[in-house]
Amino acid sequence: MKKTFFSILCLFLMLQTFISCKDSFLNETNYSAYAPATLTDSLGFQASLKGLYTQMSYYYTYSDHQGWVAVWQTGTDIAYSTPNQESQEIPYYSYDKLVSTDGAASYTWKWAYQLINNANNIITSVESPSISGISQGGKNQIDAEAKFFRAYAYNMLATLFGRVPVITKTISGPKTDFVRAPLDSVNTLIEKDLIYSAANLPLIDNTNQARANKAMSQQLLAEAYLRMGRPADAEVQCKAILNSGKFSLVTSRYGIKKALAGDPFSDMFIYGNQRKSQGNTEAIWVLQQENPTTIVGGTSGSPQQRRVWGAAYYNIAGLAICDSLGGRAIGRLRLDNWVLYRLYESTDMRNSRFNIRRRYTYNDPAYPAKLGLPVPYNNADTIYKICPSTTKWSCYDPLDAFGYSTIKDFPIMRLGETYLLLAEAQFKQGGAHINDAVTSINTLRARSNASPVTATQVSLNLILDERARELLAEENRRMTLMRTGMLAKRALRLNNDATSSHPIVGLDSTSVNKLLLPIPQSEIDLNKDAVLEQNAGY
Amino acid sequence: MNVKNYLFLLALSVCIMPTLFASEKSSASNNLTAQQQSKESLSGRVTDKNGEPLIGVSVKVKGTSVGTITDLEGKFSLNNISPSTVLVFSYIGMNSLELKVEGKTSLNVKLEDNSVNMNEVVVVGYGTQKKSDITGSVTSVSKERFSQIPVTNAMTAIEGAVAGVTITNTSSVPGSAPTVQVRGVNSINASTNPLIIVDGIPFEGNISYINPNDIESMEILKDASAVAIYGTRGANGVILITTKKGVAGKPVIQYAAYAGVENIAHVLTPRSGAEYVQKYADYMSQTNQIQTSPVPNLYEVANYNAGKTTDWIKEATQQGIIQDHNLSISGGAENVKYYISGDYLNEKGVVKGYNYKRAGLRSNLETNVTDYLTTGVSLFLVSNNYDGNKVNLLNASAMSPYGQLMNTTTGKYQIYPMYPELLYTNPLIGTYNDSKDQRVNVNTNFFAELKPKFVPGLKYRLNASYNYNPTNASSYVGRDGNDNSGTASITDTKTTLWVIENILSYTKDWQKHHFDFTGLYSSQKNNYTSVTAGAVGFINDILTVNNLSAGAKQTSGSYQSSYSMLSQMGRLNYSYDSRYLITLTARRDGYSAFGANTNKYATFPSLALGWNLSNESFMNSTKSFLDQLKVRASYGKSGNMAIGVNQTSLVDNTVSYPFNGVSNVTVLANILGNPNLHWETTKGLNAGVDFSFMNSRISGTVDVYDNRTSDLLLKRNLPLVTGYSNVWDNIGIVGNKGIDISLKTVNIKSKDFKWSTNWNFSTNKNEIIDLYGDKKSDIGNKWFIGKPLGAIYDYKMIGVWQTGDADLAKYSAKPGDLKFQDVNGDGKIDANNDKVYQGSTQPKWIGGITNTFDYKNFHLSIFIQTSQGSLKNNVDLNYADEQGRRNTPAEIGYWTPTNMSNTRAALSYNNTLGYGYPRDNSFTRIKDVTLSYVFSSKILEHTFFRSLTLYASGRNLYTFTNWVGWDPEDTYTGRGISYNSTNNGPNNGTISWTNNYPSVRSVVFGINVALK
Repeated sequence: MKKTFFSILCLFLMLQTFISCKDSFLNETNYSAYAPATLTDSLGFQASLKGLYTQMSYYYTYSDHQGWVAVWQTGTDIAYSTPNQESQEIPYYSYDKLVSTDGAASYTWKWAYQLINNANNIITSVESPSISGISQGGKNQIDAEAKFFRAYAYNMLATLFGRVPVITKTISGPKTDFVRAPLDSVNTLIEKDLIYSAANLPLIDNTNQARANKAMSQQLLAEAYLRMGRPADAEVQCKAILNSGKFSLVTSRYGIKKALAGDPFSDMFIYGNQRKSQGNTEAIWVLQQENPTTIVGGTSGSPQQRRVWGAAYYNIAGLAICDSLGGRAIGRLRLDNWVLYRLYESTDMRNSRFNIRRRYTYNDPAYPAKLGLPVPYNNADTIYKICPSTTKWSCYDPLDAFGYSTIKDFPIMRLGETYLLLAEAQFKQGGAHINDAVTSINTLRARSNASPVTATQVSLNLILDERARELLAEENRRMTLMRTGMLAKRALRLNNDATSSHPIVGLDSTSVNKLLLPIPQSEIDLNKDAVLEQNAGY
Repeated sequence: MNVKNYLFLLALSVCIMPTLFASEKSSASNNLTAQQQSKESLSGRVTDKNGEPLIGVSVKVKGTSVGTITDLEGKFSLNNISPSTVLVFSYIGMNSLELKVEGKTSLNVKLEDNSVNMNEVVVVGYGTQKKSDITGSVTSVSKERFSQIPVTNAMTAIEGAVAGVTITNTSSVPGSAPTVQVRGVNSINASTNPLIIVDGIPFEGNISYINPNDIESMEILKDASAVAIYGTRGANGVILITTKKGVAGKPVIQYAAYAGVENIAHVLTPRSGAEYVQKYADYMSQTNQIQTSPVPNLYEVANYNAGKTTDWIKEATQQGIIQDHNLSISGGAENVKYYISGDYLNEKGVVKGYNYKRAGLRSNLETNVTDYLTTGVSLFLVSNNYDGNKVNLLNASAMSPYGQLMNTTTGKYQIYPMYPELLYTNPLIGTYNDSKDQRVNVNTNFFAELKPKFVPGLKYRLNASYNYNPTNASSYVGRDGNDNSGTASITDTKTTLWVIENILSYTKDWQKHHFDFTGLYSSQKNNYTSVTAGAVGFINDILTVNNLSAGAKQTSGSYQSSYSMLSQMGRLNYSYDSRYLITLTARRDGYSAFGANTNKYATFPSLALGWNLSNESFMNSTKSFLDQLKVRASYGKSGNMAIGVNQTSLVDNTVSYPFNGVSNVTVLANILGNPNLHWETTKGLNAGVDFSFMNSRISGTVDVYDNRTSDLLLKRNLPLVTGYSNVWDNIGIVGNKGIDISLKTVNIKSKDFKWSTNWNFSTNKNEIIDLYGDKKSDIGNKWFIGKPLGAIYDYKMIGVWQTGDADLAKYSAKPGDLKFQDVNGDGKIDANNDKVYQGSTQPKWIGGITNTFDYKNFHLSIFIQTSQGSLKNNVDLNYADEQGRRNTPAEIGYWTPTNMSNTRAALSYNNTLGYGYPRDNSFTRIKDVTLSYVFSSKILEHTFFRSLTLYASGRNLYTFTNWVGWDPEDTYTGRGISYNSTNNGPNNGTISWTNNYPSVRSVVFGINVALK
């Protein structure tokens, strides 16, 4: 009996031994995720670099708060919030409510440092001597592309927050002792990164148009130099772009809707016309999107641009949602009367009915009595239901009439702006350069049939007016005004319509308070081993 | 029951009736009838106090292995019995009885219920122990709670009934399981769910998969000594579930069933037509807009003009129906025992499309292969089906009463009932979808037990278990469901788990010493895989999920993870004369998911002492009223390893992004790993006393404890400057101090009537003692030194701004805005200075009272539970009416210049401060009332039934609470609120409206029968 007993016992114990007595039994494998260490070959770096564009897109496609897009426009000199506002933009015209827990400031901060972290991971890795199998030229180009994005993020942080912590290496563990670096060292890093990337990035062509090119670095560097008060350096960068032979102003009709009514300016903002390969000779940086029902990952979120900028005409009985009216929008903001009635000359192409829609005609067959008649423009509906609005974000997907997303490319850098940056650089240098500024501005105005300006008229305000005309709904207006220090003065002077549904409050053009966004309170609280100082006024 | 006994009991009852707490003679020997005849064989019958036969009572000749068990009629017979033989009768839940045969040939034996159950054997993990010898804090839940209260899952049955265990129904969705917490929260981010062990094997599934009727006993291990044998997994308590086994004898066939109706316990009724119109008018005037129509949207006009309203809640809901059928067969011969059961549950929820069907099968087999080898197999298969095209209750509560339910042209539900309002779709279009969700759980356990005869007391046991849990979920949304492309998706997952345990135990008794040792070596491995596939862009909606390649665009994904554990454990019990008890335990665990920089192993020792005072000779004088008194104390360490896999190294995420029209795989940093990650440790001190007075008229247990958890596994928020939001870390100390009291009193006990009460009370003080070693609070994470976890840290609402208030301008407030306390009085409300700690989401105390009345064959049990002193953010108060775009509950008002509400803001108010609306969610519930009738054996004598019980039971009958909302326990989410969002990207996560389901009141009728 003992023999049987021990045989059975041995059998059982062997079962255990076979399975779990190896040393490796407790080793952990991550089966389904890449780690930075596994992405150090050429394909790995390319995937990581492309990740920077995904991260970049999160700035444009964010929709957790649908008022996000309006944050950068409302309460400046060009627009005010309608009764159809969301909530995130409220502190950006009701400046008394702009506090350190502000959601938009926090998201911007988070987004920028995530972009920096991803860029740092690539830069740290590609600059490591242990990387082999990639040529030095290849490494330099990888490094340059990552550095462009790092500089982009730091430039935005410096514009909006001023002094910020500078991180240039991979973060490999919990760290809570950040301090705000002097603005000079933030600027030095931006300049260094952009000079490097401009030197190592290729010129734009149709095949690489979706990726970083030399002109992108130069344009960003020009803008950064202007912010730093170095206009002569900025001028050099702008001229390099103009002289590259790769870009020219769009002066004639082109693209997929060439045969339909329109003008050269409106052609640039039709989805299908926006990229260089599609005929847009002004495209320096177009961040692409595709319809996600046909292309996997076509958009990284649900961009709200059309819904924010367009009028909520669907609320009017007798108006049906359609392609020619720009799809369904909800009018979260309205252009102010300065933009609508005082900014443009009547001849200005940028003010044409193809670029700013001012009137509606009943189009819903369900209302035969009204069909074809003009919608009266005479009551509260003009605040957001049939308010005049830009067509730059118009788009319509017949399979998705509700259109929570805006499926359109994001024009981030365009040659039109290069002329305006150049003009600003020339004007800031003063003296004989003023005449150069006049030439730069008039070159751009000529394309739109706007009358030329003279040297006596040129001022920073004129340049900012011209930016509004040209870059309306394209540029981040708030950032432009913060960069030039003109936010409070211009917003108070120009955005003061008696009919404004949400007038600007709590903004003071003489105070130094709130010239910058608040450092997120949670950052100050979580950074427990050092002090992150708050900006003035919070 | 013979006349003599009857008279005796009657006399006895008369004696004790006047004195409530008088003692009752309990010697069963009174029930002995002697008939002096042969000396060779003996037969008899064993019954309970009511004369009902007891089946499967063990009858053994003392000091030998000779014995038998009673049959269906409670009868037994033994041969070759000498007159001096002593017989031992034992049965679970009854006092064991020793009887001298003294030459009798027929015995009628009556066993007494042992309500104190001091000789009861209790499962303690890797073995059993006599209850009187237990040194740790162990609570047993009687099996009656599972079989008599008709519930769909075992945890619901013990809600509020066990001291120190908090069970919360965060969702009332059919088939969802409640959350369970033993003795407060001791971990910040790591799992706080207790470990569940079924028949010795860790259970990795939803507790609702286990058929409550199959449960023989449930034990909850609470203190460090009791849980130490489970090492890294014990810190949140351990719940041991033992399923029923067969008993040798004739087969027992039992059938239990119930059926009943469910209704919404409390409807958060939306505004009526007139109230809705008024709200719109108030909204327009409060936002200074010119109102051009009495209703906001085009599609509401027709119904408004016709005066026709729709009750959307009524459209979205239905009469809930629940039924459960359970059949079990058990029995066996001397060497083979079996228990087989089948269960079918079908619950049709109160909201359309919410269903739960469960079909389960269990087979527990045991064989004595030889006199030294016993083997057994336990199989458990359950199929859970949650299929259903769910109606959206959130949307139903938002619809305008004048919205259009149907599209008269198509005859289908109108997709946008308030067109051109496109924010809210018809709550009922979900019924056009095709949604399936099926989960199968297959558990196979094998054991073999070797007892070598050459070493008495030595036992070796092998447990081997394999679990296979596949799930399949699919959904299709088409044109009628507001998706003009058609979207299909399928997710298949598979979890496998194997466990092998080697248990060696040795028991020795000599003189008054008792000694036993248990040793364990075990390993386990869990593997999870998932495959997802989807397609968008179908020609029409006919194929649904059945041909993904018919879609224009395909997506797919897969995932795999695994973890493994290796453990050794030793436990030593020693007792002297059942007076002095000592338990020593140590467990060493290794877990694969801990970091590369740490030892993956941890050791958890504990010590426990017990003293049975009532067994001391100096206590003899108290014997007349004191049945039992034991004091216990324990101290030890246990651990928590419950973090997910792959948290120790830097990990990237892949996201698709288009470049020139082609989708590319892009990579972004995702998780900041921490290679130093290790287990968190709880050191616990527990002291307890078990007592029983006056023949068990009063019995109970009091435990006090002081637990301290250090090296908390904590998902710590990081400055965003790092590029990451958070990281897992071992940081900080959390304390839990508390008292658990369980008390049972028999208030009235007479011949026909008995009233007894079970009380339980527990209070727990949870406190963060330290976080980063500097005793500084972490405001960013809402962790405050000296305050409990789950802190509500928010602005203090002190009312609503009224027209003409003095400080309106100072705070740039307008009338109708919420008014918050300006704590530092600086004239503005800001996060830095004006947020205050207001309380915690953890209740200050919880309790339950069960009153049981027995009158003849009628039994009535009333269970009331309470939970007091917690706060919760109220989502229903928080959501606005989305700028006049939705209906709101009538119960939730709003400020107007005339009503001057001081609790609700105006409709124009924008919650820019992000105030969370914390409110007290204390409640007291009449949880269960069950009335049952047990047919006496006399009536059943000439039927097929051996026993028959009929009952009616009501659940969730009434709730007393100040909470405004559907239910104080349930969690609701507002429109567009998503969770599970990952580190990167703005819009990750799933919208969780599917969890919005009201708590239900149910009334069921049931039957329990056993066949002869």
